[in-house]
Amino acid sequence: MATIIKSYEPTFWDKLYFPALLKGLMVTIKHFFRQKVTIQYPDERHIPPDGYRGLHRLNKYPDERIKCVACEMCAAACPSNCISIIPGPSPWDDGKERYPVRFDINLLRCIYCGFCEMACPEGAIELTEIYDFSNYSRDDLVIDKDGLLGVYELTKKQNYYTKKSHSPASLPFKTERT
Amino acid sequence: MPFIKIDEKEFEVAKGITVLQAALANGIEIPHYCFHPVLEVVGSCRMCLVQVEGMPKLQASCNTSIGEVALDKKLDGKYDMVVNTQTDAVKQERKNILEFLLLNHPLDCPVCDQAGECYLQDYTFKYGNAHSRFKEEKRVRPSESLGSNIVINQDRCILCSRCVRFTREISGTNELFVQNRGYHSKVSILKDKPLENLMAGNVADICPVGALLNTDYIHKNRFWNLDTIPSVCQDCSAGCNVDVFSQRDEIFRLTPRENHDVNGYFMCDIGRYGFHRFEEIERVNQPLVRNGKSFDVIDWAEAIQKTADLIEQSNGKTAGIVSPFHTNESNFLLGLMINGMLGMLPAIQAEEITYPSGFRISADRSPNQRGMNNICGGLAEDLSSEIKTQAIRGLYILDDGVDRELDDAWKEILAKMDFLIVQSYAMTDLAKLAHIVLPGLAPYEREGTITNDQDRIQWLRPSLSIKAESKPDWEILMLVNNALNKKAENFTGLDDVIIKMGEQFPNYSGITLFKIATQGIALNGKKM
Amino acid sequence: MDLLGFIIILVKVLVVFAATMITVMGMIYAERRVSAFMQGRLGPNRVGPKGLLQPIADGIKFFMKEDLIPSGADKPIFILAPAILLIPALMTFAVIPFGSSITIFGREIALQVADVNVGILYILALTSIGVYGIVLAGWSSNSKYSLLGGLRSSAQLISYELAMGLAVVSIILLAGSLRLNDIIADQQGYFLSWNVFKQPLAFIIFLVAVYAETNRLPFDLTEAEQELVGGYHTEYSSLKFAMFFLAEYANMITAAALTVTLFFGGWDVPLLDESSLGLLGAILSVLSFILKMAFFLFLFIWVRWTFPRFRYDQLMRLGWKVLLPLALVNIFLTGGYLTLTAMK
Ligand code: SF4
Ligand code: SF4
Ligand code: SF4
Ligand code: SF4
Ligand code: FES
Repeated sequence: MATIIKSYEPTFWDKLYFPALLKGLMVTIKHFFRQKVTIQYPDERHIPPDGYRGLHRLNKYPDERIKCVACEMCAAACPSNCISIIPGPSPWDDGKERYPVRFDINLLRCIYCGFCEMACPEGAIELTEIYDFSNYSRDDLVIDKDGLLGVYELTKKQNYYTKKSHSPASLPFKTERT
Repeated sequence: MPFIKIDEKEFEVAKGITVLQAALANGIEIPHYCFHPVLEVVGSCRMCLVQVEGMPKLQASCNTSIGEVALDKKLDGKYDMVVNTQTDAVKQERKNILEFLLLNHPLDCPVCDQAGECYLQDYTFKYGNAHSRFKEEKRVRPSESLGSNIVINQDRCILCSRCVRFTREISGTNELFVQNRGYHSKVSILKDKPLENLMAGNVADICPVGALLNTDYIHKNRFWNLDTIPSVCQDCSAGCNVDVFSQRDEIFRLTPRENHDVNGYFMCDIGRYGFHRFEEIERVNQPLVRNGKSFDVIDWAEAIQKTADLIEQSNGKTAGIVSPFHTNESNFLLGLMINGMLGMLPAIQAEEITYPSGFRISADRSPNQRGMNNICGGLAEDLSSEIKTQAIRGLYILDDGVDRELDDAWKEILAKMDFLIVQSYAMTDLAKLAHIVLPGLAPYEREGTITNDQDRIQWLRPSLSIKAESKPDWEILMLVNNALNKKAENFTGLDDVIIKMGEQFPNYSGITLFKIATQGIALNGKKM
Repeated sequence: MDLLGFIIILVKVLVVFAATMITVMGMIYAERRVSAFMQGRLGPNRVGPKGLLQPIADGIKFFMKEDLIPSGADKPIFILAPAILLIPALMTFAVIPFGSSITIFGREIALQVADVNVGILYILALTSIGVYGIVLAGWSSNSKYSLLGGLRSSAQLISYELAMGLAVVSIILLAGSLRLNDIIADQQGYFLSWNVFKQPLAFIIFLVAVYAETNRLPFDLTEAEQELVGGYHTEYSSLKFAMFFLAEYANMITAAALTVTLFFGGWDVPLLDESSLGLLGAILSVLSFILKMAFFLFLFIWVRWTFPRFRYDQLMRLGWKVLLPLALVNIFLTGGYLTLTAMK
């Protein structure tokens, strides 16, 4: 069933244009006095909401054992193929016989989709709220296992950006220009 | 011939085969665990249940053979048997069986090395329930080592008994058995008789789940990360067909590939773990020329020219030494190049082992002795005396990198030579004596054909990349040959060499890599 | 003219020039800040306090840029064009009275550079010259975008100059003089004596035409970046581009000043007799002028960030079929009214 929509017939008032123009001007002037949304980045930092997908981390159990068992489900799920894992027999004696000897994520290839987090059967890999981790070279943006565990230490207790000392220098990367 | 119907598909089958075999042969999938084509049927897993018309209960298809029935008893007037694999009862039964199998299964796929090639995973995904109703604690049993290369994870075992039947019927060594009964059953060994035979590795392959694992591969990688190349084992003349699994230029494991004319479904442990030999060798991957006690690196053009000059100056007094480890093509090209005489590097011999199932480890532990003999007409029988009688001044050795003790006769020969050209991938004892070393390819890098001791020509395929400046052996030989003889043929690929080989040795005519494919061609009574 | 008179004129010229230039810089800053505010942003706020030095940084940037002349360009004209645009834009301000008058050393000094008795004609003439700058810049650049921009601009200016001129005619009819001072004098007194109340139709026509004349949105078809890259100044860079930039803003300032003069009583402070207050009166008048002008400058920016651009045919239709007839009708009405009142 087709619906016939009557097109709007402009009245004389409309054809004058001026009321509409004035309305438009009112809109912009209202915005002129409105609260601004700009966050002045290096001085102020946006605090991402829960569920924000930023830099990855590798979780640990309270007894320091890495949660990851190197099953490579994250690598299999990753659409940009940026996770590379070398597994090995785990040094802990707790029934989980595997652990990652190396765990590298190429942060430049990553699209921060969070599929790895969803695929992980152990809740080991997680995307944190950290978003400003730019660097000076491509090589420095391949984060390794120690780096990922370092991110865990940074973010396990508190949102990274609500901490007092949250300068990028505290990130587990090299940040000086080389 | 019985005429049967499975799921609306009608076909004739040979009398006496089972429903499962008939279905598998005709592309109908029936899930199964305990059935293995070469093992005795036990019908213990109940995974293969199907509904056979006229039978009151579901039947294990692996254990139901098909026969012919009298004309008046035929179903619908024409079928000897009508089987349904998709009825609700069958589907429900599969669910039930899987639920039972998973009761005490740890479901630790994330750490299980079978994940990705596990039939329990696949069938549960396809036919099973998404959830378990088993709320109680699962039984946990420790993993045990069954032998030096095999561990068993008791929790994951589904007690299909394939492994037990393997040691009984195929290897005939009887190490494995099912201990205890019922809930306490487990696959086990006697204390003083561990699983130590040269076929032990196969039990990990035939185990449908991740219960039996090769310690060599455990926690090394993931199945789906690996590239699979069908190739041929290079540890004896039987020429077992294998799949080579590699990732990022590293081989992770070898598994047997089905070929009923050669190895059936299995391979021996010598070949299975043999690839490790090549992992830590001192590689030569640049052309070298002797400079006093050491070597200088030179470029290929120069190396080829120097080699050709040496051979030319010797005036026909250069002997070629072929190797039973090299491909037919390389050996053939060396024969083509040398117009003096040909000798061979000593072959490796060991005891021949035959298993009750007919599986055989050849006494000849060099993979291509037969091929080498086939395509190098007139190999010198007694090398040292012939070298003396023909006054040979130089040797071109196609070295194979095998660690072998050279006997005194060889040492004497080598000491007398004016020059020694060694084509090799490793710094072997021979290469250390050489005047020129030409870097060829290592096994798993090289490609070509080899002929097993039953005269079956098979395709050896590369899994690893060529390192640094090394060149394929056939190409080096062709380049030297071209430098020696401006009229010599230029081969563009291996197939060209094989055609040339066929021209000289009628046995090999009409062969191409494409025709050899994955199953090989028998040279005697060749069927093309 | 005596020497002192000459010096006074010179000082006035310098003051006006400097004031214009500072206003231009202020406008550049205001344009960016206001647009940002209207879009919920902050705009430039890093260079100097509150970003006030941003225009200077921009200026330095223009200085540092490489000066390019396209290979196929007509070089002399290409170089001359920005000047042809900028100089008339600055000259226009000369006849605009920006305050009443002050008395120093016994001399009465009018706050106006030159009191020309045909001030209105002078302004119209100079704005027309500015078009040459645009057309020549477009033509000499040897670029299709520049040429199209130049052509559009000439057509647009001719169309809207007519309407604008005719709107001004009605004001002249009321004042009976072409001198801007006379026009201002005519509006002295209280609020309702301003021309905007006496001639609302003329004001609207004039305002619309002024936007078209200064090439500001919604009539910036000459530099419609979506279609013409940069319009007539596509090929210009460095200081030459800066001159176009300056000219655009100088034109806006003149236009705002003219609007104030013609329709809002110029420097007139409503309900106040400035001449009787002496110096204070003069200062008040200048302030009133600046305030009114500031409003119109803000209006320029406000309109720019509110309305979308016209299509070219709409632009032409508006100019010829709406504004021109309306302006003519307005003249007849004014003329008729004046004749009637004169007959009484
Ligand atoms: S967030 Fe997405 S792209 Fe990035 S590593 Fe995880 S799965 Fe790969
Ligand atoms: S992070 Fe999770 S999904 Fe990735 S390998 Fe470790 S356990 Fe598996
Ligand atoms: S045997 Fe199969 S189902 Fe069981 S843990 Fe291993 S991969 Fe998973
Ligand atoms: S170990 Fe594997 S092959 Fe042996 S019975 Fe258990 S599941 Fe079957
Ligand atoms: S395959 Fe038939 S019962 Fe196991």
